[in-house]
Amino acid sequence: MLNLILALSSGVVGGLIVAMMPQANHRLRNLVVLVFSASGMVFSWRVAQMVFAGESVKIAGEFGGLAWSLAPDPLGAVFGLIASTLWLFAAVYSFGYMAQKHKQRTYYTFLLISLSVTLGVAFSGNLVALYLFYELLTFATYPLVIHERSSEAVKAGSKYILYSLSGAGAILIAIVITYRWAGNLDFAGGPILVGCLKPGLSWLLLLFVGGFGVKAAIMPLHRWLPAAMIAPTPVSALLHAVAVVYSGVYGILRVVYSVFGHELMGQLSFASILPWIAAFTILVGVAIATQQDVLKRRLAYHTISQLSYILLGAFTLQPWGLTGAILHMISYSTLKVTLFFCAGIIAEQTGETKVSRMGGVGWSLPKTMAAFGIASLGMIGMLPLNTFWSKYYLMKGSVAGGRWPLALVLIGSGIINALCFIPTVVTAFSGERVRSDTEQGGRVALMLAPTMFLAAISLFIGLWPGIVWSGVQAVVDWFF
Amino acid sequence: MTAAITANLPVFVVIAPLFVAFVLPTFARRMRLVEGLVIFVEALGLVGAGYLASIVLAQKGIPIIYRLGGWPAPWGIELEVGSLGAFFLLVIAGVSLPVALFARGNLTKEVGSKERVTRFYVLYLLLNGALAGMAVTNDLFNVFVLVEVATLSCCGLVSARNHPRAAEAAFTYLILATLGSTLVLGGIGFLYITTGHLNMGFSSQELGRIWQDNPHVVWVAISFMLVGFGVKSALFPLHLWLPDAHSTAPSPASAILSGLAIKGYLICLLKILYNVFGHTLIQAFAVHRILVLAGMVAIIAGSILALTQDELKRRLAFSTVAQVGYIYLGLGLVNTKGLTGMLFYLASHAVSKSALFLAAGAMIAATGKQSISELAGIGRKMPITMAVFTVGSLSLVGIPLFSGFIGKWYLILGNLEAGNIIPVAVIIIGSVLCAAYLFPIIRTAYFEPVADEDWQDPGLPQKISLILLAVAIVILGVLPGPFLELASRAAAEFLVLQ
Repeated sequence: MLNLILALSSGVVGGLIVAMMPQANHRLRNLVVLVFSASGMVFSWRVAQMVFAGESVKIAGEFGGLAWSLAPDPLGAVFGLIASTLWLFAAVYSFGYMAQKHKQRTYYTFLLISLSVTLGVAFSGNLVALYLFYELLTFATYPLVIHERSSEAVKAGSKYILYSLSGAGAILIAIVITYRWAGNLDFAGGPILVGCLKPGLSWLLLLFVGGFGVKAAIMPLHRWLPAAMIAPTPVSALLHAVAVVYSGVYGILRVVYSVFGHELMGQLSFASILPWIAAFTILVGVAIATQQDVLKRRLAYHTISQLSYILLGAFTLQPWGLTGAILHMISYSTLKVTLFFCAGIIAEQTGETKVSRMGGVGWSLPKTMAAFGIASLGMIGMLPLNTFWSKYYLMKGSVAGGRWPLALVLIGSGIINALCFIPTVVTAFSGERVRSDTEQGGRVALMLAPTMFLAAISLFIGLWPGIVWSGVQAVVDWFF
Repeated sequence: MTAAITANLPVFVVIAPLFVAFVLPTFARRMRLVEGLVIFVEALGLVGAGYLASIVLAQKGIPIIYRLGGWPAPWGIELEVGSLGAFFLLVIAGVSLPVALFARGNLTKEVGSKERVTRFYVLYLLLNGALAGMAVTNDLFNVFVLVEVATLSCCGLVSARNHPRAAEAAFTYLILATLGSTLVLGGIGFLYITTGHLNMGFSSQELGRIWQDNPHVVWVAISFMLVGFGVKSALFPLHLWLPDAHSTAPSPASAILSGLAIKGYLICLLKILYNVFGHTLIQAFAVHRILVLAGMVAIIAGSILALTQDELKRRLAFSTVAQVGYIYLGLGLVNTKGLTGMLFYLASHAVSKSALFLAAGAMIAATGKQSISELAGIGRKMPITMAVFTVGSLSLVGIPLFSGFIGKWYLILGNLEAGNIIPVAVIIIGSVLCAAYLFPIIRTAYFEPVADEDWQDPGLPQKISLILLAVAIVILGVLPGPFLELASRAAAEFLVLQ
């Protein structure tokens, strides 16, 4: 329990310390950020260890007559692990990326606070706590989205808030309905709505999926995500490829497996449409991505597509599908953060944000582009990268559920992914080395180190998937 | 001794502010004494309300009844402190004490000379007494008298600022509010003619016997009441007086007008609807559907109107129009959950909106700027004021941990129990619109470059008052225990009758 409290509070405490520190002392501040991100990660690992060991970790209470509880189960532990680990990488990357930017104190304050809130989403033990942290996450990350303070950034921020609040509103209605029908909102005792066959159940599912689908960027609820790319790159990498969007994905996983349960879902007509909505988003998202010239926007649409891989796995309602979904949650996050980190280095060192103008960049930034290349291969789903395994299980789940066309969708998406990224890499290494830009210097080293390390982790998991297997298996066993 | 205090407390909470209001002008020269007296009597009111609430809670719903002059009903006039009365008395005292504290030493700038300030306090206490009377009265004609007292003192408060716009707003308010009072009086007259009683309980019993013979009279009475109180509580589209009145009044007056005065009329309407007509008649005449519909229209229209305002206090005033819609929507939910939500939302809005108006007043006083776009960076210069403003906004939007969320939660539950789907959607859309008109203010205040000016948080009493309100919002949102208990008991009592 102490570990849980420490994991949750380290971000907020660190954020408040940073907020009270003088603006000028960069070194000390970076140290504080590093210490508290690391402590958030360490204690999340401890919590996860305890959860996987089968111990019960729980804090519960009440506000306004509504019971809330924080009680991570294996799914929450996995999400907490992903988020807190990548947070540390993003923090180190930020030390390099943000070094000469304005308003660093605000940036680091809210970056740390968001860590706590994200872990709150991950470790929530009932719908009230999940809703509370999900709502708070919008506000905690808003200052990061509008970091540029330009009118475009402010517009993107407003879009983000309005989309998120509308989604949260739908979720609130859905939670109240669930509460009325089941009288209980806890995830612990099996699916909440089990044995609760009511005619309006499909509508309830629609409300839930529509609400969480905003942050999970299901088409057509995705519009805020490309707009939010105005944020600094570490934020785009961490929040808009992982933490914030995963909170939506996580919410949908919860709804499918903890609120409805796979048995009840199997009886709903609406539930059988959901995998096709995910498939639509997969294909259209990546297709739009190939048309984008600005690299970060390309990555944003690609995120939209990849998030639906996870959802597709969850919507198959098959153990293999869920295995694939959880594996993809882990694998995709490391690769996508790598890609964003590379995009940030390219933009910072060469000033180029458009793919069409990146000819020869590879010769000036060889390590960056190597990492980019590795991650690109991963996005296609090639061995020896970790996404190969997740795609394999996703297909297995689709076929096991009797929906073999979904497997074809996944293969097709892999091909479009290749069209999306391989030309970028080829362009980068084509042409002469005309640029004088280099990847020398301490600032780049701070950005490059986490990037390469993450690419290496992806490779490592791809070669030895056994190291994450026990965690994935624990989640699947928990729900099936 | 305690028995004597308990027995006389219901009338004391009404008489005390009225009495002090009458002696106040004799001290007009000594400002400190006047302010001290006002704050003292408000604090006394809070203690009294808290004590009454604890007794009512302990008695499990048996009301404390006080017979004026010792005459029993139906001949004499009854005051009744039940769950609803105790609840509303707490709201009144809980809001008017911080507002009085905020006004301390701060009014001369907005209002003018000492005499004018004393006049302001006299009206303030009269309004307070009238509202307390509305909370405890059990007599139809008393309702009318109290409504008139409240209306005239509100009118005086609106015109307290020495400004032509204030005079114009007060005049508009006077005309429309008098129209409303007349309709209310007419409605009461119809009820008296048909039932022969002014005591709510007896009137209700009689009405239950005869309404089928005279349905038209009931119709006319109900519609008079709805329109009359609708004007007074600014139900869209009868809100025309409100934006001018609430935005030109001095800030403490805006806070008390938006926060409490409107709620007083709503409590009167609630009592007449549920204690006199009763829920059977409400359903028989489909009044609940009208109320829900009117509430939905008000939520949407008020929010959209608020979005278009650039002047800070006008935006807050239009927001009140929208928020009143939630309360009307709740009035039309004939079930315990819905009425609980309505009452809780009423209390939540009273606290939140007065916090917002006071914070806005402090900002306007410090900067001299009226419009939102000119307040860039004020969050850095006036951290406490802006923090309270943020808390108030979060509560109005309905973010968990703040009071508005609990209110909305029960309103949604009540709607589902009544089988309403569209109102649920409207409640949520209203929240999103509320975010759309309040958050840009917060963004401007915190995330835009700081103007190089000497803006500062207000003085100590003002800070304490703002913090008290913010703390109240959070307590209501996190630990509403006894408060929610009172509200849900009051709601249950409304549905037991008949």
